[in-house]
Amino acid sequence: MTEKISRRDFLRLGAAGAATGVLAGCTSPRRWVVLEPFVRPPEQQVSGVATWFATTCRQCPAGCGVIVRLMNGRAVKLEGNPEHPLNRGKLCARGQAGLQMLYHPDRLSGPLLQSTRGSREFSAIDWNEGINRLFQALAKAGPAVAMLGGATMSDHLFDLFSKLLAAVDAPPPVIYDLYTELGGYRTLAQAMGQVYGRAALPAYRLAEADVVFSFGAEFLGTWTSAVRYGVEYGAFRSQPYGKRGLLVHFEPRQSSTAVTADDYVAIAPGSEGLVAGALLRLIADGNLGLAGRAESARGLAPSLDVEQAARECGIPLEALQRLARRFADAEHAVAIPGGALAGSSNGMHAARAIEALNVVSGNAPAGVNTTPPDLGLARKSLNTFADVQSLIARMRAGEVQMLLIHSTNPAYELPEAAGFLEALAQVPLVVSFGAMVDETAVWSDLILPDRSYLESFGYEVVSPDFGSPVVSSQQPVVTPVFDARTTGDVLLTVARGIPAAAAAMPWDDEVDYLNQMVAGLPEAAYPASTAEEKRARFQQHGGWWPAPAVAAPTLRPQPFTVTAERATFDGNETDYPYFLHVYPSVLLSDGRGASLPLLQGVPDPMTTIAWQSWVELHPATAERLEIRDGDLLRVTSPHGEIVAAAYVTPGIRPDTVAIPAGQGHQDLGRFARDRGSNVVQLLGAALTDEGGGLRWNGVRVALARTGKRIATASLESKVGVTEGLGYE
Amino acid sequence: MSELETRLLDRGQSAAAAPKTELPSHKWTMLIDLDKCTGCNACVVACHVENNVPIRSEREVIRGHGQHWIRIERYWEGEGDAQRATFLPMLCQQCSNAPCEPVCPVYASVHSERENLNLQVYNRCVGTRFCGNNCPYRARQFNWFAPQFEGPITEMLNPDVTVRSGGVMEKCTFCVQRIRRVEEDALVEGRPLRDGEMVPACAQTCPTSAIVFGDRSDPQSQVAQRLGGQREFQVLEHLGTAPNVYYLKAGGSDGGAG
Repeated sequence: MTEKISRRDFLRLGAAGAATGVLAGCTSPRRWVVLEPFVRPPEQQVSGVATWFATTCRQCPAGCGVIVRLMNGRAVKLEGNPEHPLNRGKLCARGQAGLQMLYHPDRLSGPLLQSTRGSREFSAIDWNEGINRLFQALAKAGPAVAMLGGATMSDHLFDLFSKLLAAVDAPPPVIYDLYTELGGYRTLAQAMGQVYGRAALPAYRLAEADVVFSFGAEFLGTWTSAVRYGVEYGAFRSQPYGKRGLLVHFEPRQSSTAVTADDYVAIAPGSEGLVAGALLRLIADGNLGLAGRAESARGLAPSLDVEQAARECGIPLEALQRLARRFADAEHAVAIPGGALAGSSNGMHAARAIEALNVVSGNAPAGVNTTPPDLGLARKSLNTFADVQSLIARMRAGEVQMLLIHSTNPAYELPEAAGFLEALAQVPLVVSFGAMVDETAVWSDLILPDRSYLESFGYEVVSPDFGSPVVSSQQPVVTPVFDARTTGDVLLTVARGIPAAAAAMPWDDEVDYLNQMVAGLPEAAYPASTAEEKRARFQQHGGWWPAPAVAAPTLRPQPFTVTAERATFDGNETDYPYFLHVYPSVLLSDGRGASLPLLQGVPDPMTTIAWQSWVELHPATAERLEIRDGDLLRVTSPHGEIVAAAYVTPGIRPDTVAIPAGQGHQDLGRFARDRGSNVVQLLGAALTDEGGGLRWNGVRVALARTGKRIATASLESKVGVTEGLGYE
Repeated sequence: MSELETRLLDRGQSAAAAPKTELPSHKWTMLIDLDKCTGCNACVVACHVENNVPIRSEREVIRGHGQHWIRIERYWEGEGDAQRATFLPMLCQQCSNAPCEPVCPVYASVHSERENLNLQVYNRCVGTRFCGNNCPYRARQFNWFAPQFEGPITEMLNPDVTVRSGGVMEKCTFCVQRIRRVEEDALVEGRPLRDGEMVPACAQTCPTSAIVFGDRSDPQSQVAQRLGGQREFQVLEHLGTAPNVYYLKAGGSDGGAG
């Protein structure tokens, strides 16, 4: 540049250059301009054409359809697939963050060997050696192979694992993770089996409901499919002709669902079933509601003293009566059982009591009450915690020579009392298929990193099923970012060397497998004449679903009994004065989201805290124990102890403290490591009374100050919170 | 050369193909129905991804330097144990009388009359932060440091949106890059913009459809139809900033499409 131009000159020149665009710029206090190209940032220009691919979200087990926006081969944005019958074009925060799963800097490139478990000293090997080691070990172990998988593993992979294990006469995979346990998936499905004769995850239609009673179901945060329930909820609030549905929520803590409710009732922990029982009793005895309701309730209501029940639940009797009348009077009333009650000692009883309310109102959940057509596709079924315990017992007894782990992180997710790590020491070879080094991979010998869900093929039979079956398709949308290999292909390669497996798994690769599976599907909502077109459309549209939705025969409720009592909690009231309310974080869910900065750095809706974990306690509790926000507390239960920062909030009962799941990782990448504490360490490994679930909602705790404080990373005002911590 | 002709050239098309019309003006408006907001944060994450908004570290958040173009504000209402939380999604209100504009010494905070938008010109911004100071909604976010996108995370950056450097003020743009795209598509196809064609990232992902976006100068648009009801309010209305974001109070319903 030959002449020097000052900033002021530059601006003057700029103003002259844009003279056509500046309108009365000099005289008005407001400056109305039209931007001209020399200051036109990329936002003002269109830089090429985007391509879109449809696939399936795997951040939670639901199976929402996503479409991925690609620019120059890079995936830059995820949106909900507008055609997909489950999520209808919408996505949740976790779904939106999926791209960081794909582009995470700590993903593994190539297989790793660890000579000393827990050392975190890995040596890289090439894929041939990795697969060969897997094959050798599998051939040697034979029937002594076990597999532990998570609910986000795609159904096609479950099928391949199952076939491989069956070929070597090993027991089928055990599917278990903390996310589905906190959502009560398995227990609720079992309860539905008792009520309707079909054990499936219930799905409740809210769009046309007059009244919804939610028994601790955080269906707008994490429960089963928060996205679909969000869509249902939006419609529920603005129904035709100005009708607005009414939501009543029962929970010891104000969750984001509780906050959104018209009527929030802070019930005593573990009393969901008792509330439902008392409502049934009141409807029956008071002859309440529309014709037939009281009669139906009389056949189901448990014998209980309503006044005493009201006292135990912490609800005034008048309020309970008003609620009973409201439920019975509503033409379309729905009751939703949540995850917390399923993890209580009386989980199955409580779930049945709540479902009895739906039987009384004549509104059976979709997906449970119908018989879907047989699609000829394998799909996962979840195992109970009791099944995991028997796997651990087999491991401890030395009956497992080789353990395969995919999509689940038992070293982080299981309570210490379950004895997983001790039993793991008895297993000669542990193989992890994790894309990153998580807490379980640290205790494994061989890591064969799987690709992320945006780089692999697959299908998922959508659950919860809102009345009509959906098979969601998964396909790679970008070229693989790291040298990871899809587990499906790894298994098919290994199977070729085992004659029985080779016969059961005759496919060249997982694409071949998938194509054959798709070929058997009935006619879809979109036209496809040839088999080739059918496969292409399956991926183009993001899955298979029939049109119009299949109207399957309705099942009738079977006779069942309702009992109502309050759940029991470990620990006595003197030593452990507070009930512990554990809940899956809206952003980090059960901890799998903790690896992503997008989920760590976005504030939790109720506390506005990012990056940290906390203990929510009532102001009265805080005053008694002289606790301020940010005080590090030692939280002790009969099973363990953790240290976490206090967060004082009016949104919780005085007899309860709440801690979200999700933080407290030692591994899982740079963004998750060493933040906060893992609430699972406070839990025991006891089972619920019926159904074999983990009794995770049944612990009392004590609080003690450690004398240390941290500054809270919250969005809300920090006046008085960060004083004296060097952050002002 | 007109703006439209420039754009057609940008797309590799002949400027002669330009329809002999002016670019239409719009009154872009957002409507947030608080009766449907569940505080799920889907909009927040969607906005971060769409607009390359950096995630700030724990230490920065503690200092009050957390950076979000849209955030869920949580308030408490009531007394004692009857206190209930409420959610209010807060973003740049795209004020018609924007307090951030007259204080900028370098014209980085400017108004587009045609689109009714409040724009931030990043390459003019010198980081005086006067605009952020003057914004009653705390909608403007200052880059105290250059953003960090570690490893391949840079691959997911949206090429339609600037990656702002350190020392620059930034804020919600109503996804102006999306406005450009749909405007241009409509022009090339020689038709007016359709209502619902322009959807910002937050509204697109919102599971309950609490966020509605549109051009209120079109009386048939969904926003225009839903404005003027009993539940409508604007945040800090008395300041006279004339925001283009409207809220609907919780606890009522307009009725659905049926």
